[in-house]
Amino acid sequence: MRALIIEDDQTIADFVARGLREAGFAVDVTADGEQGIQAALAGQHDVALVDLMLPKRDGLAVIDELRRRGRTTPVLILSARRSVDDRVRGLQAGGDDYLTKPFAFAELLARVQALVRRASRTAEPTTLTLADLTLDLLSRHVTRAGTIIDLRPREFALLEYLLRNAGKVVSKTMILSHVWEYNFDPQTNIVDVLVSRLRDKIDRPFEKKLLQTVRGVGYVLR
Amino acid sequence: MQLAHMSRPFGLRLALWYATLFVVGAISIVYLTYALTAASLAQRDRQIIQSKLGEYSAVYDQGGVRALAGTVEAEQRTAPERLFVRVVGRSSEALVLSSAEGWEPSTLEIGSLQLADGTLVQVGKSTEARQDLLARFRATLGLITLSIVVVALTGGWLATRSAVQPIRRLGEVVRRIIATGQTDERVPVGRHDDAISELTQLFNAMLDRIEGLVRGMRGALDNVSHDLRTPLARLRGPAEIALAGPPDLGRYREALADCVEETDRVLVMLDTLMDISEAESGALALRREKVPLSDVVERAVDLYREVAEAKGIALAIEPSADVVVNGDRVRLQQVAANLLDNAVKYTPAGGRVVVDVARQGDRALLRVRDTGVGIPPDELPRIWDRLFRGDKSRAERGLGLGLSLVKAVVEAHGGAVSVTSEPGRGSTFVVSLPA
Repeated sequence: MRALIIEDDQTIADFVARGLREAGFAVDVTADGEQGIQAALAGQHDVALVDLMLPKRDGLAVIDELRRRGRTTPVLILSARRSVDDRVRGLQAGGDDYLTKPFAFAELLARVQALVRRASRTAEPTTLTLADLTLDLLSRHVTRAGTIIDLRPREFALLEYLLRNAGKVVSKTMILSHVWEYNFDPQTNIVDVLVSRLRDKIDRPFEKKLLQTVRGVGYVLR
Repeated sequence: MQLAHMSRPFGLRLALWYATLFVVGAISIVYLTYALTAASLAQRDRQIIQSKLGEYSAVYDQGGVRALAGTVEAEQRTAPERLFVRVVGRSSEALVLSSAEGWEPSTLEIGSLQLADGTLVQVGKSTEARQDLLARFRATLGLITLSIVVVALTGGWLATRSAVQPIRRLGEVVRRIIATGQTDERVPVGRHDDAISELTQLFNAMLDRIEGLVRGMRGALDNVSHDLRTPLARLRGPAEIALAGPPDLGRYREALADCVEETDRVLVMLDTLMDISEAESGALALRREKVPLSDVVERAVDLYREVAEAKGIALAIEPSADVVVNGDRVRLQQVAANLLDNAVKYTPAGGRVVVDVARQGDRALLRVRDTGVGIPPDELPRIWDRLFRGDKSRAERGLGLGLSLVKAVVEAHGGAVSVTSEPGRGSTFVVSLPA
């Protein structure tokens, strides 16, 4: 997998590049709109991460140029502008997803992978498995070490989301938006409560703990 | 800038149009007067000549050439205005001549009469006096026309200047505001109740509105920068302490985790503060649509079901007739969620939180009742303040912004919030929205 980062803030570009490399991506980094367009046209990238405020050509212009030249590379827009209008404008210009700064790297990675997956259209699996834990999407049965575990719908949704991102840390915000489709941060630990209930059911009776808390970042199944 | 370039030619154009129309009108009247006067003077002369001819032909018929010559001679001596008379016989010789000199047909108005025996009687009247009179009349009319032009131009200039003046004043104020950014200036409103005064008043009203928004945004910025200092200090502290101590991986991990968690809190706080400020200053963009309040309530209850259950609180929606409001769905969900958050947080195990929707006249009500710790009377008015945390609430996790956001968003919808509380027994929060 090859990713292109077009971002003029050196620190952000470095940390995103390092994180993506650790996740197995080959990464190219450019610092302005002109170079970004050149690099995107020259290379075969599976995904591009484009900042909106760029020197020479701004992010929207970059995306527009790529789309006019027939490039369908999925684009994740990174921006410090958080209003709905900016989001809509970015997506209308041909961006595929939009992430507001500051962001959790876990969320960025999840979105980048979702874009790549969507573009490659790999067949949807009907069961998700991790170690001795299995979730059947069709029958909606969950088993661990052969034992059937009874989950409430919301717990099932959380487990499904964690399993789809197995091995990767997901943040509370990501869980809120995927499990509840809720896009602002309630101040109570709603996610903590659901996670601990899920943990009671899938981990407590078993020796090996699969659902782990990464303090300050989120949760991971591994 | 545009206005200045436009108002000058505009004023001039107006003045020229006015003057041109005025002058054309005046000149036509003057010309008409002159033409009528000249025509009537000529007419009078012709009448005098005709009557003289009639008189002479009568004298000739009675007394012949001699009698006519006598009459002419006598008249030449006595008449106030001298006429030229010539009588020509059949043989083309002059029989009677009033005087030889002065018979100059170009300066005379001449009338002729052929008598029965073929004799021709001619009477000439000098046009000199008439031309003189008309020349004086022309001079006078010329002067009048000239003064009309002057009056028209001056009047036009004055009139348009006074018409353009308020527009120009408006332009000057706008230019000053653009240059200085001081929106507290206002354009003086004219005494007359006309279109320009109305425009000026509208312009001033627009400035009032802009000034209000700008002041709101400035205040918001001040508040946000103030409110962010504490969490930023909390962010910096652990990092500094970890760095100052002896190298220890465990400590570093702790400090980093603290920093990330605190950063997330700062971010939520920043977003919430911006939302509150925008809602309070009227800058919050509401995407209004028809929203059934029961949907809003169900979503919020759905969000807090697990939390309430884990805490041993009964969370229920009281069935009621649905009410539809015109509002921003996401914002209203935020309102309901924050009220529930508050209720669940301050209700102990075994308690109840009940949500219901009702219609009261032209208002839609959303009520959240809890059997929680309640709010002391002295704290009641302050719970909506930003960052206010009551004595009991300090123990709970939170930013102290939830209720402020509720109030700001509800008021931005044209609604109102209220609360009643009995310490130890519980509180009831009521959101009232225009239905």
